[in-house]
Amino acid sequence: RDTYVKTFSPVSSFFPSELLDDILREKPQEADGIDSVVVVDNVPQVGPERLEKLKNVIHKIFSKFGKITTEFYPEADGMTKGYIFLEYAAPTQALEAVKNADGYKLDKQHTFRVNLFTDFDKYMNISDEWETPEKQPFKDFGNMRHWIEDSDCRDQYSVIYEAGERTAIFSNDAKEPITVEERARWTETYVRWSPKGTYLATFHQRGIALWGGEKFKQIQRFSHQGVSLIDFSPCERYVVTFSPLMDTKEDPQAIIIWDILTGQKKRGFHCESSAHWPIFKWSHDGKFFARMTQDTLSIYETPSMGLLDKKSLKISGIKDFSWSPGDNIIAFWVPEDKDIPARVTLMQMPSRQEIRVRNLFNVVDCKLHWQRNGDYLCVKVDRTPKGTQGVVTNFEIFRMREKQVPVDVVEMKESIIAFAWEPNGSKFAVLHGESPRINASFYHVKNNGKIELIKMFDKQQANSIFWSPQGQFMVLAGLRSMNGALAFVDTSDCTMMYIAEHYMASDVEWDPTGRYVVTSVSWWSHKVDNAYWLWTFQGRLLQKNNKDRFCQLLWRPRPPTLLSVDQIKMIKKDLKKYSKIFEQKDRLSQSKASKELVDKRRAMMEDYRRYRETALQIYQEQKSVRLELRGGVDTDELDSNVDDWEEETIEFFINEEIIPIGDL
Amino acid sequence: MWDTKNVLTGSADNSCRLWDCETGKQLALLHTNSAVRTCGFDFSGNIIMFSTDKQMGYQCYLNFFDLRDPQQIDDNQPYLSIPCSDYKITSAVWGPLGEFVIAGHENGEINQFSAKSGEILKKAKEHTKQINDIQTSVDLTMFISASKDNTAKLFDSTSLDHIKTFKTERPVNSAAISPIMDHVVMGGGQEAMEVTTTSTRIGKFEARFFHAAYEEEFGRVKGHFGPINCVAFHPDGKSYSSGGEDGYVRIHYFDPQYFDFELEA
Repeated sequence: RDTYVKTFSPVSSFFPSELLDDILREKPQEADGIDSVVVVDNVPQVGPERLEKLKNVIHKIFSKFGKITTEFYPEADGMTKGYIFLEYAAPTQALEAVKNADGYKLDKQHTFRVNLFTDFDKYMNISDEWETPEKQPFKDFGNMRHWIEDSDCRDQYSVIYEAGERTAIFSNDAKEPITVEERARWTETYVRWSPKGTYLATFHQRGIALWGGEKFKQIQRFSHQGVSLIDFSPCERYVVTFSPLMDTKEDPQAIIIWDILTGQKKRGFHCESSAHWPIFKWSHDGKFFARMTQDTLSIYETPSMGLLDKKSLKISGIKDFSWSPGDNIIAFWVPEDKDIPARVTLMQMPSRQEIRVRNLFNVVDCKLHWQRNGDYLCVKVDRTPKGTQGVVTNFEIFRMREKQVPVDVVEMKESIIAFAWEPNGSKFAVLHGESPRINASFYHVKNNGKIELIKMFDKQQANSIFWSPQGQFMVLAGLRSMNGALAFVDTSDCTMMYIAEHYMASDVEWDPTGRYVVTSVSWWSHKVDNAYWLWTFQGRLLQKNNKDRFCQLLWRPRPPTLLSVDQIKMIKKDLKKYSKIFEQKDRLSQSKASKELVDKRRAMMEDYRRYRETALQIYQEQKSVRLELRGGVDTDELDSNVDDWEEETIEFFINEEIIPIGDL
Repeated sequence: MWDTKNVLTGSADNSCRLWDCETGKQLALLHTNSAVRTCGFDFSGNIIMFSTDKQMGYQCYLNFFDLRDPQQIDDNQPYLSIPCSDYKITSAVWGPLGEFVIAGHENGEINQFSAKSGEILKKAKEHTKQINDIQTSVDLTMFISASKDNTAKLFDSTSLDHIKTFKTERPVNSAAISPIMDHVVMGGGQEAMEVTTTSTRIGKFEARFFHAAYEEEFGRVKGHFGPINCVAFHPDGKSYSSGGEDGYVRIHYFDPQYFDFELEA
């Protein structure tokens, strides 16, 4: 996006004469100093009691671009005028200030406009003739979706190892990983992929960097000192960064929202604590982002970054909220208040219409679980029923696609360890009970208003549920303290396809297509046996990849499919035809690999044989020396001195079998 | 000793002792200033060597005694004593004809020390961490070194050429070369001090078999529930033994499939 002409706000006071008056009141600088001066407009107009504070804020913001040598705050009638002049030590610094601070939103009413002082002159003298502006060179990063075009449909994944010193990108081939890129110190802590897989984000002391394209060139850089957490908008248009270092009361810098394509800082926010990151939750289409503070829900819209309807929602006691992943609906819950019961509310955005409200009684806590398409919402309600001491759990299932959003309840007798929806279906899995009696139950939310318990497996070694992103298949895993027990389940008929183990596994990651699962032992949680293992979705182990101090593996997400529903139907119909072609391809590459391995082994054996022959030859030549050293006794073979051997026969009892003669 | 008449032992009680194997009688006692780490008879059985640890202000020494000269034993005066100032010797074996000793050091170095002059004849720096064990092939032409750097390496005894490397993910405490097959066996695990942080599951510690030419692992034997400290093949190659931190010595006889097994080539 190229901006060819900067516009400045139509404030009538910007007539050259008044400008010059203000300037002349100060001591005139050297002529070349003018190039280092910037004019900042839309600065708050304050009286003398707040002037010091204003100067501090301005100084804080603008000294980032260079050394401010002079500042001037013109006044009239005891108030500042609303525009100021800043002089930097060098013209390059002034340019940085214009580039980065122009458009900066200080608060609701003040968005800075920053211009070079010399530009005023320039713009006043613009000719009436239109001159085509010079085109900026196009920064070509190549095909940003290059990895999707892999002819063998291999997905990529990032691996951090050597305790964080090395980061590599691999292409997943069932035989062995193919290295795409490998760099030392690519990131200082960890990495994150953007939601559609376009960018790889790395962390550095000074901020974050985004990399992409075929060669993983640096696409963009965001300067945020001490950044520790980031979050992408689902549309990949924005990235949110958090740093615990940066915040002050006047200048919110703890959380910054950036425009990825332009690199611009869009808005800064305060942040009390990053305990529940992401603080800002995005709607699925990136149109809104929202956060919760005491008794308040603040919803902002993009691209303006301003509050929706210019005000936050007052929701007294609000405890938690989340967006539907499929629609612009927010679910939130508030606890009991005197005689008003606790309730869960579904609210449509931007209209703020309440679609559904559900009252709940004797509530201790609630957790919101959306199904990935937004078809269902499960509210896990922990309650203490009247007259009892214990806590029981209900699942309140909201059917989002049905009129008036009916709610069904599933009562659970035991404490809940984990809950997960089938990503694109209508099943959910629950781990409940207490070690060592942990049970895995599978439920189906049926169309006829019933929720059916399909199956329960008891005595499971599991504390986590991992559904395949395509649904149907899943892995029940006992991570960390449960020593890496794995169960591969097909939920179409609820069978255990395979039981396996990856000792001390700390993580399980499905590839985006649901074909492969990676289990890994991260150095961050266990200091030995650091490796990642690749399995098929059915539980067949394909690879064990040991990596020195392996830390983290993340699959690269895929962008949503471009195929229409009809096209997908057609492909599924012709699947047999495609299968034949793929199987042939697989067979060819398998035999090629075998042949390569066989050739390699043959060469190694030949080399080894040759070495052994030479060594044995020398050995034979030295026989006389050996005989001499041992006084003529030949010890070259075990049986060189048969006379030394004594043969002894020993009998010992093995087995006794009693056969009654009558049975013969 | 090659005819199993005598046994040589070295201990952290700061002594090296010579025994009659059949009667158990102690034939000689050599006091040292620090713990004896490793010892052995040369091919002829006439010369003994042992190394002492770097301890309590004393350096590491590699000492040589000629048993044909009783004066050396009586006076506790080795005919050759080589100081190792930097990295102490952690394991050592004799060369094929008694001309030199092959020593592995704390830092992964392997040196050939002449048994006559004490000078270093050859050096090899292939391992990056401490050498835990060195064992020779039955004909002494090659040896295998087991290292804390998670690998074992095969070397030619005379030239110290590095022939093969066998990679694992755990420190290797001991390795041995099969006398009849192109196989090596390795055992390892964590250092004794660190054992509590790893698995205490039954049988988690395994002896691992590698093909000597292909450097590929082809088999594992479970059973120990602590790190394996020592492995050895029977001289006839039909069985092997392993000793572990768990206090057990295990003896395994190979079944027929072991001898027929071949990796596709």
